Amino acid sequence: MRFVKLIAAKLFPISRRDLFVTAGILLCTIMVCSVVRRAGGIQGFAQPVFVLAVLLISRFTTGYLYGLISVVLSVVCVNLIFTYPYWAFNLTIAGYPLTFFVLLTVSIITCSLTAQAKEQARLLAENEREKMRANLLRSVSHDIRTPLTSIVGSTSAILENPGLSEREKRELLENTREEAQWLIRVVENLLSITRIGDEQARITKEPEAAEEVLGEAVRKFRRRFPDISVSISIPDDLLLVPMDPILIEQVLANLLENAAVHGKTTTAIHVSLQAEDGFACFSVRDNGQGLPGKNTAGLFDAAAQPRAHADGDGKRNMGLGLSVCRAIVRAHGGTIDAKNLSRGAEVYFRLPVCKEEL
Amino acid sequence: MQIREKILVVEDEKSIAQFIAAVLSENGYETVQARSGAEALSMISSHCPDLVILDLGLPDMDGLEILRQLRGWSSLPVVVVSARSHERDKVTALDAGADDYLTKPFGTNELLARVRTAIRHTRTASGNDEIAQKGTYTVGELVIDYNKHQALVRGENVKLTLSEFRIVALLGKYAGKVLTYDFIIKELWGPRAGGSNQILRVNMANIRRKIEKNPAEPEYLFTEVGVGYRLAEGE
Repeated sequence: MRFVKLIAAKLFPISRRDLFVTAGILLCTIMVCSVVRRAGGIQGFAQPVFVLAVLLISRFTTGYLYGLISVVLSVVCVNLIFTYPYWAFNLTIAGYPLTFFVLLTVSIITCSLTAQAKEQARLLAENEREKMRANLLRSVSHDIRTPLTSIVGSTSAILENPGLSEREKRELLENTREEAQWLIRVVENLLSITRIGDEQARITKEPEAAEEVLGEAVRKFRRRFPDISVSISIPDDLLLVPMDPILIEQVLANLLENAAVHGKTTTAIHVSLQAEDGFACFSVRDNGQGLPGKNTAGLFDAAAQPRAHADGDGKRNMGLGLSVCRAIVRAHGGTIDAKNLSRGAEVYFRLPVCKEEL
Repeated sequence: MQIREKILVVEDEKSIAQFIAAVLSENGYETVQARSGAEALSMISSHCPDLVILDLGLPDMDGLEILRQLRGWSSLPVVVVSARSHERDKVTALDAGADDYLTKPFGTNELLARVRTAIRHTRTASGNDEIAQKGTYTVGELVIDYNKHQALVRGENVKLTLSEFRIVALLGKYAGKVLTYDFIIKELWGPRAGGSNQILRVNMANIRRKIEKNPAEPEYLFTEVGVGYRLAEGE
């Protein structure tokens, strides 16, 4: 019984949108035919127009239900309104079963083709996601392996070589800590990804004070990079932005860290927040070396990162961090982009301020 | 000889318990360790520690359960240490009576700072000494005057509205401790105030504009994103 229901729900799904589409197309068709009839159209012109209508409805609705409904309605319309005698239902007109049959065939074939196309698109998207996931895993494994090697190496060196000087030991331990902190970043980014979730990226948004999130991200950054000076500018009025604050803090943390680590020569960072017609614009600007290459489009793809970079196997890969940033910003319905300045680089993202309708 | 504060470290991971204990004893605390919830509860009654560092993921019971049982009869300070990083978990633990919440991984300086704060708060029952004695709370250039209901920055009255002052006063009473949004709202507007944090956000933004030099770089009023607010603690 449940199985039957399930099949029925799959073949005949009911949706308000589809109902509107069906009604809209049918009304348009009736209107067009009425106009043509008034203008003195010839007998039988209505049928091909309704074939087109049925075709369109079957194409743009889901399942078979609306296609079939439109077939029945079309037949009634053609018969009742557009075939002599007008406004009378006459089943004896020659060709009437033929009209019905043609419309039915058109509808069923179109519906099944549409369903097939949709299924194919879904498979393709799934494939794409699978590929992305694999790329991500590869990128992450790589990011993890290098620091782990250094941690295991440094600690073994200390344990197995009692003759090391205090200074050497200290250096090794400092490296270990540095690498462990890098690993923490990687893990935090991965956690962020799990928070976004992989299906349609549903996140819980609440209006948050953007300046608080910004301030916290900078405060944590300063603790980690005390040598880099950070200035902040925010608007005078409080900006409440619907967001998942933990995720946006992660975005800012990633951008700040990138500015410090990948800017290489960065000594100062400027973070700003601005309100711009319906959007909150966050920007992180540094005075470092700037972004590699001219193409900023690939920057946010973990997979598109140049792996075989000049300096070895690129442990400090910013691909993961930036692709996480983009995923988070997109899940908020925002956009993110980057550009080179005359000195240094700027990464900026915009989040919609006005609430989306529910 | 000075009596050293005794800290119970409840943590089932040996390596983590060891490093916490090492850091604490190096900084002048006496430590005892428990590896499970049952052990922790019995040690709390037998050792009477001054503070408990509590891991939430224990083999025999949830750390929150220990916290709830403990809060049934004691206000012994508890600093929760956990790998659960969702802000929901933090809020739950804080609302269940934890004095502080540290997410793994954490730095040793952070741990020590939280431990010091939590211990100081027990010595002075509710709020802190200064408020009880002088009716004011001072941190840096900020003075909260509980008698006159005003806040001063560099000696100047910053003219907070009543609800703004009440927020600052509440944070001052628990200075150094994170107060969850829910807690603040309930304290200020009663238990039936709506669940929306928006009014609190707006008030806080106004307070910061009056007290802080740059509201985005607070020196006094810190945000724990997704959890609550905390007022800086004077040393």
